[in-house]
Amino acid sequence: MIQVKVKCFSQVKYVLGKDEMSLSLEPGTTSAELEELVRNQAQGKLDKVTLRIAVNQKYIPAEIELKNGDEVAFIPPVQGG
Amino acid sequence: MIITPQELQQWMDNGKSFTVVDIRPEEHRNEFPLTGLNPVIADTNSILETKNDTVLVCQFGIVTEGIIVEKNLEKTFSLLGGAQAWIEFQSEKEDLSRWSRQTVLPEIGLDGQKRLLSATIAIVGMGGLGCPAAQSLTIAGVGKLKIIDGDKVELSNLHRQPLYGVEDIGRLKVKVAKEKLEKLNGDAVVEIVDEFLNKDNGVTFVSDADIIIDATDNIQTRLLIDRLSKESGVPMVYGGLYRYEGQVAILNVNGSSGYRELFPEPPSGGDTCADTGVLGMVPGIIGNIQALEAVKLIVGIEPNLAGKLLVYDGLNHTIQTIEL
Repeated sequence: MIQVKVKCFSQVKYVLGKDEMSLSLEPGTTSAELEELVRNQAQGKLDKVTLRIAVNQKYIPAEIELKNGDEVAFIPPVQGG
Repeated sequence: MIITPQELQQWMDNGKSFTVVDIRPEEHRNEFPLTGLNPVIADTNSILETKNDTVLVCQFGIVTEGIIVEKNLEKTFSLLGGAQAWIEFQSEKEDLSRWSRQTVLPEIGLDGQKRLLSATIAIVGMGGLGCPAAQSLTIAGVGKLKIIDGDKVELSNLHRQPLYGVEDIGRLKVKVAKEKLEKLNGDAVVEIVDEFLNKDNGVTFVSDADIIIDATDNIQTRLLIDRLSKESGVPMVYGGLYRYEGQVAILNVNGSSGYRELFPEPPSGGDTCADTGVLGMVPGIIGNIQALEAVKLIVGIEPNLAGKLLVYDGLNHTIQTIEL
């Protein structure tokens, strides 16, 4: 298993009720699969929310395989101003 | 003998006793007054020698030099560069003292301040982000602000939009903002457009700007700003809010990503401040970070948020910076 730290922002944080969580994942788990996991945890409350993913403080435009110790941030767009 | 404006200023600062004699014709005296000197008026034939030192002032410092030599006047000085030099010196002195706390920063200095004084910044939206950004940029000496917003002031705006008061309710935000900003810095030029940004007014609005500040409250306008920013080559300082959180990024600069690259598919799910609520200090912080980044970009200070997304959380005060 690999350990990843998930950082939640904006709607993700409010829907899940936490700003950070540590997850044990199967080796070979991808960023898109982790996003699916997070969306499942939200029980549909994030279905309409676009999420962008950053791994180790770097925005990733395409799906990548996660490594042990990665920090994954989920960033929704924010509208207020 | 000759005295420079700087030396004359030192005499004044040291409390030295001296007389200033202005020999210029009335029209020059009226058009170019010698601020702070309280001169005695005289013509070239009626200059008297006094016990104190005397400083003669003409328009350019040439006539007075000639008079001193010709009449062999003692204890009499010609002001180098004349009234023109004194006025220029006074205006520089005023600028220096006004912004001295920021020009003393080696990254800014006088050159940086001059860049700010000649800069034009376009701000889209005069709400929670636009108010603090405009306020800080005005008092930092940004020469020209262009502000656009079709909204009128409402009671529910006042807790987070410090340019407006109860007496402004019902008035156009841009008009009130212009009045307040010009009070903060009388030299600032504030150009207003009392409409919402759209495809028609957008091109003209951003075309002569050095930076666009995205202080809007909806994603559709952000996408339009992004497009205008790309087409005009004017960088955009994006800012957004969600409850206690805020985001800031400098987009479309030196080939860096734009908003559409950050959120490629039409983004959804972002709620407005009216939907989710906001404490006024959070837009205050985020709007000020946008202003800070705009100043850094104009002056050329690095590092800055070009190609990076800053996410600020006002609950636990963490800042995450993500490379785009």
